[in-house]
Amino acid sequence: MPCRKKVSDSVSFLTPGFFLFFPVVALVWFLLPGSGRRIWLLLASWWFCLCAGVEHLAFLLGATALTYAGARLLDRCPGGRRKIVLAVLLLSVFGTLFVFKYLDFALRLLDRIFAATGLAFSSPGLSLILPVGISFYGFMAAGYLIDVYRRERRAETSFLDLALFLSFFPALLSGPISRAGDLIPQLRRPAPFSWDALRSGSVRFLWGAFKKLVVADRLGILVSTVYAAADDFGRLAVWTAAFAFSIQIYCDFSAYSDMALGCAQAMGLRLTENFRTPYFSRSIGEFWRRWHISLSSWFRDYLYIPMGGSRKGRRRKDWNVLVVFAVSGLWHGAALTFLVWGLVNAFYQIIGGRTLEIRKKLRRRLGLREEAPLTAALQVSLTFLCSTAAWVFFKGGSFTHSLAIFRAMFTGPWLIRPVSAWGLDPAELTAALFAVLLVAAVECLSVRMGSFREKLLSLPRPARWAGILMLLAAVLIFGVYGTGYDPQDFIYFKF
Amino acid sequence: MQISKWREPLYGLLFLLLAGLMIGLLSLLFRPARSDYGAVWGPYLAEPEDSLDYLYLGSSYAYCDVDPVEIYARTGLTGYVLAGPEQTLSQTYWYLREALKTQSPELVMLEGSALGFRQYENYTQVNVGYMPFGFNQLGAVFTASEPELRTGLLFPLYFYHGRWKELTLSDAAAALLPGGIDDLKGFTPVSGICAQIVDGPFEREAQPDTVYAENLSWLERIAQLCRKEGIRLVLVLHPTYSQLPARLRMQIAEDAAALDIAFYDWTGDGALLGITPALHYYDPGHLNQEGAAIFSAWLGDFFTETLALVPRTQTQENAAAWIQVLARRAAAPDAA
Repeated sequence: MPCRKKVSDSVSFLTPGFFLFFPVVALVWFLLPGSGRRIWLLLASWWFCLCAGVEHLAFLLGATALTYAGARLLDRCPGGRRKIVLAVLLLSVFGTLFVFKYLDFALRLLDRIFAATGLAFSSPGLSLILPVGISFYGFMAAGYLIDVYRRERRAETSFLDLALFLSFFPALLSGPISRAGDLIPQLRRPAPFSWDALRSGSVRFLWGAFKKLVVADRLGILVSTVYAAADDFGRLAVWTAAFAFSIQIYCDFSAYSDMALGCAQAMGLRLTENFRTPYFSRSIGEFWRRWHISLSSWFRDYLYIPMGGSRKGRRRKDWNVLVVFAVSGLWHGAALTFLVWGLVNAFYQIIGGRTLEIRKKLRRRLGLREEAPLTAALQVSLTFLCSTAAWVFFKGGSFTHSLAIFRAMFTGPWLIRPVSAWGLDPAELTAALFAVLLVAAVECLSVRMGSFREKLLSLPRPARWAGILMLLAAVLIFGVYGTGYDPQDFIYFKF
Repeated sequence: MQISKWREPLYGLLFLLLAGLMIGLLSLLFRPARSDYGAVWGPYLAEPEDSLDYLYLGSSYAYCDVDPVEIYARTGLTGYVLAGPEQTLSQTYWYLREALKTQSPELVMLEGSALGFRQYENYTQVNVGYMPFGFNQLGAVFTASEPELRTGLLFPLYFYHGRWKELTLSDAAAALLPGGIDDLKGFTPVSGICAQIVDGPFEREAQPDTVYAENLSWLERIAQLCRKEGIRLVLVLHPTYSQLPARLRMQIAEDAAALDIAFYDWTGDGALLGITPALHYYDPGHLNQEGAAIFSAWLGDFFTETLALVPRTQTQENAAAWIQVLARRAAAPDAA
């Protein structure tokens, strides 16, 4: 069954099938009049989901029907009953997510707890499928239901529009987690075809392909090789792998977002930006405002603020941060390591908040002006280091293995195996280094001068074409794909 | 100033054309140049148009056993071995269609051991991947190739882009610059004597009837194509120690007769043709260079005496070119 296959085998942006699928979908989308184009886009989106397996589509259809009917009910329900209806609806959405994503984890956890206390319990060892994109469209559905409950928007009367909002194929697998108020009006009154939008969207897609195939998947080989036996490589390799994973996960996930946003843009639709050069953040708090923005803002609006946010004192704020990041960690995966990763980020934020004044004083003593480049560089470096340390739990696979990686960072010889044995040969390492430098340069220029992509597209045609063709050639030559390579899923597909 | 509404679409098309051209060039650059062991299309296409008396098609049994220069020396017949490693009959059909674009041979010899092959053998990537791009290659991709290989066959960088680490200037030149004609005319001489040959001939595993039926359907298409083009088709089995089962060979004889295809089974006739097993086999399936010379000379006689094939009139340049090939072979016999 398709569900046993990797998602990349069936539905992904980087498959030959998608390169046939997308132009046809986009072309017909622009050619059809009125609601015909929305029906077409919905059918195309469902087809995209169906390629992963019929059971995946069944879940999407079920979630769509529940959300549509639930929101209509919420709209009609009088006062006190609305809360109950919302609770039932959210319980259904998150309950489904829990069963398919977390039940197995919860049972195994119970297993361990009972074993530790000497009681007999044996978990049944479930092997349920994880419907593709459920973490993303589930959150979109929940956000929409809460908006309707809060009377911030009316329930959609058009099933077509709501279904398209939840199913829109570029965002189906890994977001961004769109808001109904943002996407549905665009779907209803899409922008007319524009060459500028097509160019910009296509270049954005290509840049995403570069980050995924040239950087992320190449670094992924090094990270997997070193992390598999961290003790055997020496400290230098483990530190390198840790930094490489920070870059890998950014290039991987932001690549997906770029491709999703690029596809939507080419069709005249604007999805939520998910990343704003997060590794240039000067604090972990800022990092989380620039990393996976659509998820962070979802948690802010639907969990953190309803819990009181920062309005109920410092202790309560810290507790709220702790809860939000614990949930965020678990959203990323059903494992203790993800929980720990979330909690580590929460502690960073709490400690950061508590030491704000002390750090200011320290900077003054050291003569570091707040806006001085050196101060910024130190803060950016420290933030990157902190996030890198947290990512160890994210990638580690298990708590024990993550601790083993930390141990290997700080103990033993600096170098046990030569650099050429870290999974990438010297030529591959050189390619990775240049590609990372290119990504860093583009990010740096984007911070200083605004979108690098728009700068490229504003160049005279010959220069613009040369730039795009060179980028395309780089992807085709240096990309990690084809025979002999194991195509790697986008990391966030798993969530 | 009013901008034409066609400007952007035309620029768009031009950009796509440039991108396609770049991908095509990169595909050629990264694909290893191929000069022997079959699927050698470049030198074949460099042959003067309509200059070949016969084409020899098939698998490695064809390109290892048949030396067209030896045949030319004996008979004056010009020919070319256009075969590929473990080439299936479905692939051979598309090869023939493509080959007939530039040549109009009187005779097509088909080494028929592929009737006992599986639907897909091990060298589709080579056999189909090296065909000239066009309708026939697309036909081969979609009807004669494993589905999982189709991405790479349509987009060769999928297979070969990883060679960026090893690519040298001479590799690039060999890949991009047009090659000349091949003095071996598709023949690949192999040296060495097979030690296992003393064990005697053995039978290869037969394929299920459905696979044979599929292979036979491709043979029929080859026969139809030859008939349509007015070309004589002769199906042969070479003298070999890795033999198709006798029952299958009898079946082939019956089916060839039903399709009105001349069929010659030389499987066990090595001694009659002058082949000494202990000296002339590279492995149980293929003749070595010396064996190929003996067999090719015999084939020449077969062409002229049994098939009554007569050399066509050649242009002066072409005749001179073949004579020069002979002269070069005489001067450096080990080159063959």
